[in-house]
Amino acid sequence: MRIKELTKKYDGKTVVDGVTFEIPKGKVLSLIGPNGAGKSTVMGIISRLIARDSGQVSFAGTDIKKWKSRDLSRRLAILTQSNHVQMKLTVRELVSFGRFPYSGSRRTKEDEEIIDKAVAYMELQDIQDQFIDELSGGQRQRAYIAMVIAQDTEYILLDEPTNNLDIYHATNMMKIVRRLCDELGKTVILVLHEINYAAFYSDYICAFVDGKIAKFGTVKEVMTKETLSAIYKVDFEILEISGKPLSIYY
Amino acid sequence: MNVKAYQANIRKLGIMLILVLLAAAAYMFAEVDFGNEKLFRYAMKIRTPKLIVMLITAFAIGGASIVFQSVINNRIVTPCLLGMNSLYTLIHTAVVFFLGAGSMAASNANLSFAIDLVLMGAAATVIYSYLFRKTNHSVLYVLLVGTVLTSFFSSIQTTLTRVMDPNEYDSLLNSLVASFSNINTEIIVLSLAVLAAVIFILRKDLALLDVLTLGKDQATNLGVDYDRSIRRLLLGVTLCIAVATAMVGPISFLGLIIANLSRQLLKTYRHHLLILGSAFFGMIVLVGGQLIVEHVFVYAVPVSVFITVGGGIYFLYLLLSNKGI
Repeated sequence: MRIKELTKKYDGKTVVDGVTFEIPKGKVLSLIGPNGAGKSTVMGIISRLIARDSGQVSFAGTDIKKWKSRDLSRRLAILTQSNHVQMKLTVRELVSFGRFPYSGSRRTKEDEEIIDKAVAYMELQDIQDQFIDELSGGQRQRAYIAMVIAQDTEYILLDEPTNNLDIYHATNMMKIVRRLCDELGKTVILVLHEINYAAFYSDYICAFVDGKIAKFGTVKEVMTKETLSAIYKVDFEILEISGKPLSIYY
Repeated sequence: MNVKAYQANIRKLGIMLILVLLAAAAYMFAEVDFGNEKLFRYAMKIRTPKLIVMLITAFAIGGASIVFQSVINNRIVTPCLLGMNSLYTLIHTAVVFFLGAGSMAASNANLSFAIDLVLMGAAATVIYSYLFRKTNHSVLYVLLVGTVLTSFFSSIQTTLTRVMDPNEYDSLLNSLVASFSNINTEIIVLSLAVLAAVIFILRKDLALLDVLTLGKDQATNLGVDYDRSIRRLLLGVTLCIAVATAMVGPISFLGLIIANLSRQLLKTYRHHLLILGSAFFGMIVLVGGQLIVEHVFVYAVPVSVFITVGGGIYFLYLLLSNKGI
């Protein structure tokens, strides 16, 4: 997936300014940066949720605008934070929606098997018949991830998946992201606020400042004292723990 | 999927269908003189079109309310919020005011229904395609616009009635107050045609309703053109409301009750079940209510009084028990 010269303005203010990068296949890529740096907007444009002003997002050689939405939904999944379902929906029914791009509302036996696997993968068997609105935040997040797994796409985009989760659930979330990549071979792109999660669990980091890319590279390349200080405008120290660079900021 | 829950829901709907049929039979044959063939025929001639109108209205309001609530993603809204009821009132007042109560447009039921449909359809198209795009597809704006339009239309209508000839106002009032004793049976064929057309044209969008309720982001993720479907569904809701209003007058409060009863009973996200449940509830309430009105109260109290009183209590219960609101 290639992103080229992407630009987006809101009310005359440029939020994404000539962003160009390429998403490495089969890896975990984290988008980081201060508030308002445009990382979530870039994510929205890549996943066709937000319209762009100019630039290109080419996916498998074709611009995503030229893709049929249904076809794209079999290859690319996005999970945002705006998930407020008013319906009486059980966990399993939610996961089943992941098969919609393939079979519509008439699910086949094969679909049911994939749903079973996704439910089992996220360890949701015990609560699969509970209603979504009766779950805790962590459980709900896992149910949505299971839906994305059932959608069976090569690319998975997650917009701030650790938001509103405590340390336990957030860390588990990041471990799941890692497993999605290592065990299931997915390409995962996520927007993150916690730099250390990005450093510990990703392969690549793309840092945004003022709608532009400040630095794109492997974790080691981006996680340096100088780069991070320049991006966040606070002092940083970099430590190394189990072979990964972690940052302390104050 | 939960096969058991699904089958339980099918059973519930089956029981409701039986209740609908029972109510319809009771309405048709209550206090009829079977011995006298002429009287029997006369009663049938009066009652059959009324029954058909009630069934159509219940279906139109029940379906439209479920679809509207799911589109807005809120269980306590009714399609009255779109401002279409006040537009209906305004259209009829304007016709009587400018053309007179005796004019073709006011006295020919099919013509005045056609005028309603065209104007309400046109207004809805403008609001939901133009304004919807202009306001970045925000459903909340649709509600806000609806509320503003409601007061706008009502103000014009009130002004017109103030300066109107009292005799004309009297005849106008007949079409503005909901009543099942005074229903519009002349437009049955046209209404059925409109409803059938709406369902046929929107059949794909209706099938998408389950996915649409996941919200814009999730629906788009699953490959659904969210904005287009929402626009088309809102237009369909408007036309259904137009049909129901033209037949019996403005009673969309009923929609709030039956849609919520259906959601509470069936506890599912599957809209084909919810819509059927809502329609069946509507039929039971309307036909049963009218039966009581005609035979117990002998027309002393119109059925809309029951709907408002019962509905008001149920609405308070919904608010206080905070069921998914």
